[in-house]
Amino acid sequence: MARIALFDPCYLSTLRPNDAMCAKHVLEALGDDVTLIDGRCCGQPAYNSGFRDEARSVGRGLLRDAQPFAAIVTTSGSCTTMVQHYLPGLFPGERSLGAQSIANRFHEFVSYVAQHPNVGQLGLRLRGTVAYHDPCHFRRELKATPLALELLGRVEGLEVRRLTYEAECCGFGGSFSVKLPEISVAMMTAKLGDIAETGARVLVSPDFSCLAHLDAGARGMGMELEAWTFPELLSRALE
Amino acid sequence: MNYHERAAREIHEHQPSQTVTPIMRKLVADSAAMLARGRDDARTRAEAARQHAIDHLDDLHEQVRKQFEARGIGYHRAETASAAVRQVRSLLGNAKRVAKSKTMVGEEVGLTHALRSAGIDVLETDIGEYIVDIEGRGPSHITAPALHLNRARIREMLARTGADLPDDDPTRLSQHIRDVVGDYFRDCDAAITGANAVVASSGRLMIVENEGNVSLGVSHPRLHIVITGLEKVVADEARALAVLEVLAPSATAQPLTSFSHFVADPLPGQERHVIFVDHGRSRILRDARYRDILKCIRCGACMNACPVYRAAGGLSYGSPYMGPIGAVVSPLLWRDGRYADLPYASSLCGRCTEVCPAGIPLHRMLLDLRADAVSRGQVAGRAERAAWRAWALGFGGATRARAISALGRIGLRNAGRALRARGSDRDPRLLPEVSPERDPANLDPVTPPKETAQPPLPGSNVIGIDEVMPDDPLELFRQRAGALGVPVLGRVEPRKGDREVRAEAAVASTGSVLLVGDAAARRPLLAARRVVVRVDHRSVVGYPGDLAPWLGDGDALILTGASRTADIEKQLVRGIHGSEELVVVLE
Repeated sequence: MARIALFDPCYLSTLRPNDAMCAKHVLEALGDDVTLIDGRCCGQPAYNSGFRDEARSVGRGLLRDAQPFAAIVTTSGSCTTMVQHYLPGLFPGERSLGAQSIANRFHEFVSYVAQHPNVGQLGLRLRGTVAYHDPCHFRRELKATPLALELLGRVEGLEVRRLTYEAECCGFGGSFSVKLPEISVAMMTAKLGDIAETGARVLVSPDFSCLAHLDAGARGMGMELEAWTFPELLSRALE
Repeated sequence: MNYHERAAREIHEHQPSQTVTPIMRKLVADSAAMLARGRDDARTRAEAARQHAIDHLDDLHEQVRKQFEARGIGYHRAETASAAVRQVRSLLGNAKRVAKSKTMVGEEVGLTHALRSAGIDVLETDIGEYIVDIEGRGPSHITAPALHLNRARIREMLARTGADLPDDDPTRLSQHIRDVVGDYFRDCDAAITGANAVVASSGRLMIVENEGNVSLGVSHPRLHIVITGLEKVVADEARALAVLEVLAPSATAQPLTSFSHFVADPLPGQERHVIFVDHGRSRILRDARYRDILKCIRCGACMNACPVYRAAGGLSYGSPYMGPIGAVVSPLLWRDGRYADLPYASSLCGRCTEVCPAGIPLHRMLLDLRADAVSRGQVAGRAERAAWRAWALGFGGATRARAISALGRIGLRNAGRALRARGSDRDPRLLPEVSPERDPANLDPVTPPKETAQPPLPGSNVIGIDEVMPDDPLELFRQRAGALGVPVLGRVEPRKGDREVRAEAAVASTGSVLLVGDAAARRPLLAARRVVVRVDHRSVVGYPGDLAPWLGDGDALILTGASRTADIEKQLVRGIHGSEELVVVLE
């Protein structure tokens, strides 16, 4: 039984307080012993806005909490990217190497589950149809798209519909969605149109940030859409 | 105005996405398909060629200087934009009529405007540039300047110059501009062009174009001035060809442009000068975080793929360089802060980095530039700075962060109730909802599944991309040339007005022919009614990069289909300057 940590990202714990329990449920079904890390942030909001001192001081807290664990599973492709690809670069010299060695032990939840030796024994089953949104960091920085599709393919009874313009950004981009709302909305509208084309009313994605953005837009535009995280979908498929 | 204000206005007034998005979706798919048809390691080779160039810039310039001296080409350097303009003016002497083709560095230094202010008559001879010059708002794309204008608007632009055109058919509009440009070339004193690469080992200039206006410029007026960036050198022909192999596929999903020039000695009675513009490039070269931006080959693939560019258009950037390359290079070239907010014109989706054929980590540079802008005080006011400090304090401790999270939930649940009713017209998004309720019925789709998960995109009208590639090189050459409208025959009946030349080599993967020396002379090629090229079947090579040993030492020209343009709504129009008819006789 592997002893691992589950990092519940700040925005996810705020907006989907049950998500961490769903993720824990799935990881325990895989036979892992899970400790929760919460109340932490990877620093990405400040980093993407150009405020690196603030990003470093906040990200440091996460790395400190993560240090004792051999594996830290993170329910966000975007936070995982921040930790693995950007956070270590904020520390000088030797400390950057130390940060990188902790960062390398972070795993994005979907990829972790898809590659888990016990994944075949989960017995996932859920009847229904979902559309799949491929987040940019998950796709291009972590290059994990095939793993997400493979994992969804393991859910018996689930039909997965892919978007025509799967590689296109949903328009969230963190502070981008606030600083340039007109552009963000234009991108979001295009993505929602693409989702509507699939005919599915449940959208699943490895990144909650895209989902929250698309969900806020869909509700505002009167479009019927439920945005599901992978932990939510998988924990239901376990029942 | 800042980027946000320009973009908001552009979206509100012109909805650029409606024109740009469908074009770019198709172009990006076609580009990927075209690159997939090329050499497997084409991008790696192009990147390596550019990397070598910026790593050996001083040595290569020394070689260029010597080669130019031997060829009788003037070598000039300009430290600043205004110095570049002064040098052009001094080289022009008392020349009064100048035919200018597209040069990004020309845009960068404000060349056309500066020359006109000095009383010199300048005509933009590229069809797209000609159109946006009338409009007066500048180009919206580096390879397709008039992308933001539809045919009806272009017809209106042309009407401003007195052109009375019966309809707005892209062929008619393009041919009208061609005729104006052709007349101008009959009586002008000088031509100004850019260059895509300057080859250090031979001192030749690689210039690519589709329309034939560069062909006219390098061969007609008695004075030819080239203005280009300091970084645009490459070590040798092999490396120039490596760049060529990815340039047109990345830019416009063409195998190669119609004309790929290797321009050598000036013609008898002609003067040729090259001005290398620094304008901050030496400084960028010394900054390890950004020096890779000098690997850029100005193909525009990053803007083709950029969702922000598509949504807000190219004019929103307010810079000669738009899209992700513009958002990186503009604040680096102009350090006064006028473009400091451009790096924020990105959702950081990383698609630019993914498609860049020169391997430039564009989205990472955007992140670094944001941090620079913050630390220089060029962006973010006092309120935003205070907010981030407070944020760092709040999320610095787990207990505090949990409390913020809980407060956030309470706030959203309550504010949500008040504000959830509806979004505004301009921003339909509602506040996020905490743990929304689920309806199991939503797992049932509203419509049956589509027949294919990824509906095929329509094939390109430029390149015949849907065809299966034959293995036999001669068969492949026939097919590729045919896709460009070039018949490959066993023999042809000679006709009056033919220009018959022998190719030094031909390229199977692109359907191109290589002409060197006298065969490459542009004037007779452009004057011919039909160009007949004889190709020896033993000289057909696989890829453009294989042409290096055949390029000779003088003028060379790779022809890939007849002259053409797609500057109006990306609609292909064949036969701009020079004959529409190009025929290959394979022997």
